[in-house]
Amino acid sequence: MKLEGGKIAGSELVFLMIGFTLGSSLILSPAQAAKHDDWLAILAGLGEGLVFALIYTTLAVRFPGKTLIQFNDIIYGPYLGKIISLGYLWYFLQLGSLVLRNFGDFFTTIIYPETPMIVFIVLVALICASAVRNGIEVIARCSILLVVFTFVVIFGTAILLAKDMKFTNLLPVFDIPLREFIKASHSAATFPFGETVAFLMVIPFLKKVKEAKTSSIIALIMAAMLLVVVAVRDTAVLGITKTISTYPAYQAVRLIDVGKILTRLEILIAINLLSMGFLKIAVLYYGAVLGTAQLLKLRSYLPLVLPMGAFMVSLSTLQFGSNIENINFAQEIYPYYALPFQVGLPLISLLIAILRGVPKKMKGAKK
Amino acid sequence: MLQRIFKKIHVQQILNQNVQEKDSASPKVSQDNLSRDLKQNLKMLRNILGPSSDVVIREFSFGCEEKINAALIFLDGMTNKTIINESIIKPLMYHARLISPEELRPTNSIEIIKRTMLSVGEVKKVTPLEEAINDCLAGDTILLINGFHEALVVSTKGWEARSVEEPKTEAVVRGPREGFTETLRVNTALLRRKICNSNFILETLQLGQKTKTNVCIAYLMGVANPRLVEEVKSRLKRIKTDAILESGYIEEFIEDAPFSPFPTMANSEKPDVVAAKILEGRVAILVDGTPMVLTVPMVFIESFQSAEDYYSRPYYASLVRTLRFLAFLITITAPAAYVALTTFHQEFIPTPLLITMAAAREGTPFPAVAEALIMGTIFEILREAGVRLPRPIGSAISIVGALVIGESAVSAGLIGAPMVIVISLTAIASFVIPSQSDVAALARLILTILAGFLGAFGIIIGLLGGLIHLCALRSFGTPYFSPLSPLSLLDLKDVFFRVPMWAMLTRPRGIGWHDFKRQKWGLMPRPPRKNE
Amino acid sequence: MVKRGSLFLRILAISLIILLTAGCWNRRELDTLAIVSGTGIDKPEEPGKVQITVQIIKPGEMKAPQAGGGGEGGSGGQKPYWTVTATGDTVFDTIREMAHKSNRKLFFPHNEIIILGEDAAEEGVQKYLDFFARDHEPRWLAWVLVGKNTASEVLETKAELEKVPAISISKLIEARGATSEASAVTLHEFLTRLMSKTTAPVASLIEVSGQGKEKTALLTGTAVFKKDKLAGYLNKTETRGLLWVLNEIKSGIIDVECPGGKGKVSLEIIRARSKIIPEIKDNTLHLAVEIDEEGNLGSQMCSDDLTSESAWKTLEKNQAAVIHNEVMAALKKARELNTDIFGFGEAVHKKYPKLWKDIEDKWDEFFPNLEVAVIVDAKLRRSGLITKTVKPE
Repeated sequence: MKLEGGKIAGSELVFLMIGFTLGSSLILSPAQAAKHDDWLAILAGLGEGLVFALIYTTLAVRFPGKTLIQFNDIIYGPYLGKIISLGYLWYFLQLGSLVLRNFGDFFTTIIYPETPMIVFIVLVALICASAVRNGIEVIARCSILLVVFTFVVIFGTAILLAKDMKFTNLLPVFDIPLREFIKASHSAATFPFGETVAFLMVIPFLKKVKEAKTSSIIALIMAAMLLVVVAVRDTAVLGITKTISTYPAYQAVRLIDVGKILTRLEILIAINLLSMGFLKIAVLYYGAVLGTAQLLKLRSYLPLVLPMGAFMVSLSTLQFGSNIENINFAQEIYPYYALPFQVGLPLISLLIAILRGVPKKMKGAKK
Repeated sequence: MLQRIFKKIHVQQILNQNVQEKDSASPKVSQDNLSRDLKQNLKMLRNILGPSSDVVIREFSFGCEEKINAALIFLDGMTNKTIINESIIKPLMYHARLISPEELRPTNSIEIIKRTMLSVGEVKKVTPLEEAINDCLAGDTILLINGFHEALVVSTKGWEARSVEEPKTEAVVRGPREGFTETLRVNTALLRRKICNSNFILETLQLGQKTKTNVCIAYLMGVANPRLVEEVKSRLKRIKTDAILESGYIEEFIEDAPFSPFPTMANSEKPDVVAAKILEGRVAILVDGTPMVLTVPMVFIESFQSAEDYYSRPYYASLVRTLRFLAFLITITAPAAYVALTTFHQEFIPTPLLITMAAAREGTPFPAVAEALIMGTIFEILREAGVRLPRPIGSAISIVGALVIGESAVSAGLIGAPMVIVISLTAIASFVIPSQSDVAALARLILTILAGFLGAFGIIIGLLGGLIHLCALRSFGTPYFSPLSPLSLLDLKDVFFRVPMWAMLTRPRGIGWHDFKRQKWGLMPRPPRKNE
Repeated sequence: MVKRGSLFLRILAISLIILLTAGCWNRRELDTLAIVSGTGIDKPEEPGKVQITVQIIKPGEMKAPQAGGGGEGGSGGQKPYWTVTATGDTVFDTIREMAHKSNRKLFFPHNEIIILGEDAAEEGVQKYLDFFARDHEPRWLAWVLVGKNTASEVLETKAELEKVPAISISKLIEARGATSEASAVTLHEFLTRLMSKTTAPVASLIEVSGQGKEKTALLTGTAVFKKDKLAGYLNKTETRGLLWVLNEIKSGIIDVECPGGKGKVSLEIIRARSKIIPEIKDNTLHLAVEIDEEGNLGSQMCSDDLTSESAWKTLEKNQAAVIHNEVMAALKKARELNTDIFGFGEAVHKKYPKLWKDIEDKWDEFFPNLEVAVIVDAKLRRSGLITKTVKPE
């Protein structure tokens, strides 16, 4: 009995991964600690992220058709493997709840101060739940249109803001101490790029597993380019005020004013956030639900969708008291908290797999 | 919950079906064969056909020395009298005398008659009574001859039918004007005339236990994917219902997503449209008694393609195509966007416009969302009234709608003027995509309500939900939202713009993709080269 | 298939239930909004308090004159706006305080100007502007002005061509390009300068002239801040000097002497570009301001023949001299106030980041003695529809 019958194409994986990576990093600029050098930090973070992606895809190609949860069992044995898998499920859920929380904070801050945050969180979670129920194929298909739209919005706003851009705001290049720069670029690596570890739950459903490597690399590079465009746009437009903005992208787009007609377009940023964040949550949610089903050896993951969603929703509301706590967590703790999940465990898994030469020996036994 | 209810309904349906089957096996139509005795045969027929006033039974005798008794049974109104008179009765009565009596013996007369005397195109020998009666009910004439347990069924179908006219629903400026009629044979002929190809297959089956409606599957062998054809056939064969009166009946029995508001089967009244779709590898389902021909599989963007796109020049066609997408977006989101902007996001309206809109709202009693819903409902009512009413009264409706409701409501201060503009814009835009207009009305309603509660967030959530649904839908194995997602770059040639005909090298990928080559490369017109 | 359909229905049902039970929090109809078009901040007599004046548009009255068939402006007698003043402890508090006076909720996204009264500006503006930067309603594109009188007085002036004074002032600023003698500073630019360690914030300066009912507002130059406190004013000439350096000259008229010396010639600025170039020469920091300007001959009030090459060259030279003088005037004033309104510090920072770390904190001592070379390249391009002036040959 297969839990997931869908298959996705390599191009769909590219779009999905771009959407996932842009996710909430579109509005919460990933390396804000690097001030006006954040675009450099993002590029440096991409370098680190690509290494991560190589580890993930090597693992995925080594265990074709097996998700993270399934090959954890193979690599670490049934008991330790399950514990590690549980850790990942927690990580996915928590990450999903963080993004949900970002949604809630964003919408209550900018447009709906009087509406309870839970309304946004629940509605987004519901939409994600319906996508998850439809399977990875549908999530991947949704990504195409949404990512293309986001693409258009990012470049469109950049063009509309062209006359307000002061590229001298980017000078002097590399103005921060190396230590801080590395810290910022590492946080960029862990904030959007390393989170693609969740795709270890998706890549097994690729039509051609071999495409995983190229697709992920293309996706990460494209996403990083878009993030750089966004970072440069925001810095060039906002200058020093970017460092105090909660949502730099939103603030920058608010300054669009072309002939008093093309103005007040910031709703586009909200749409972008919603569509990209939707993809991110859907993938994480899907990973958690599918992973749990595989862990518990269920025949279908559908019964898990709503309970897991409820758990994620409650987690997102209980996790932080305020957005300042959220920001502090994201900047100070998260880069280290995420390390074992993003690099440590995958790297160890890969090493053990190579040393034990596992996939060949165990393939027939399992499944 | 709902699932359970539907399951129950399903069970009930099965029960009903059993009843029907029993019903259809009633003693009236016996499984008997014909007997050799004409009298008894006629008695049986009278018994079965009952007191219907349109049944004509004409008894006569022919032959010169030994008179042979015979009878013609046909339905008045469904048969061509000229054929019966000139090609059946006349030869039998007059020409039978010219044949030597030895040849025309009572023992072999049926064969002789069939071979030499009936000057009609289609004659067949039938033994089972039921088959003869079914043919008779379809407009053929039964010729019974005493002493034979076989009947001759002569094709005499002929009835008053609407002639081939220009379809009312899909008007074109450029392109063929003929439309399908209610007669299946005419329709298949119209198609056959477009596709003169021996691979063009028309398979007929009868559906509907009571109506015995002829349903015809049309496809181009070698182009249509055989698996698709098989799927269509097997789904059609699953239908066990008493009546098929319109292709809509069939649609609901065999569509992929019965609960989806989106249609997953396209219909058209124009032979050229259906022929084009068959040539792309689709399968058409023609139903006797309706000019609406179904084609499967359907993709979402099909609603945005019109026949004329392919007959007019590509630039303009592409422009119009894009406009249709815009119109669809307007028709589903305009009232919702207006509600969201005026009640949640006033900061997104440019200042002068905001002042004008605020001035128009000054003193109107209803909240904007209520205004939108009221006006939307009134519009739907007006439209429904306009469709059902005869044409002359229809114009009266539009006057009442436009003047009384639009103009007066504004001047009386009940409704803000901008809302009237938004609703009329929505209405006009909804006419651009007729095949999705009912979905659009539903989507508009849902989005307006969502916008009324949560503004733009609600609209985006609604649209996302719609997108997920569209991406999850399939029509006979083809993803409904293809070629946009799953993305097929090759097929984008016919989505937002239409490339020239000479560049349409392949058939659409999503639809079976059996024989993909449409034409060869390099057909772009160009001046002849020197060495040519 | 059944599952998919019923899920759709289920989600629809859940969403509807959530929405219906939750009600509508942020919903507000257009006619419950008090659209603020301008805000003024003053320091009242009472210490530690803040006085805020807002100008609210009355949409109904805005339309009335047209509907009434025109006639004299404001035939209805009602002004299409309402100016409300309130006093409180903080900005936000005061704005909420107005709910007692206005039945509609103040709505700031369409606020086009923020006027700081002289007293308030002298006291320091950071505490006033934080609200406008933090709250989600006010836009960063609003113009920041300093009123030489109190802000409420400025908002009480009469606008002849526009219906609402605040909108009139905003359009006044947008039309500054004709002379380029008034600066235009959006809240965003103001905040950017406020956040900079060295660059001094500037704002447009607005004054009230006239008496009684005929009071009108006019732009008279630039207000200069030291950190967030008002330090002084630039007059129109100095303002243009500032704008030359900031590369914000759009158009304007330069009056120069006729080469013959009898009368003046007006030259219209067509295009202008400037660059600040810091340089280290002989271990000292120099700054060069390069200004490229192109002008047209606009009008000639003397009878000389200006078409000769020498006269044309003289005109160009005079033009450059005028620009040079304007910049020097601005520079002089800036040195007097010891405010780096030109952003020289940032320019140095960008070019010499290492050096900057040493002088960053000493910039205040550095700036008044900074050597600035102004290099003007002024060109005259066209002479208009006639060449020589209108006079007998």
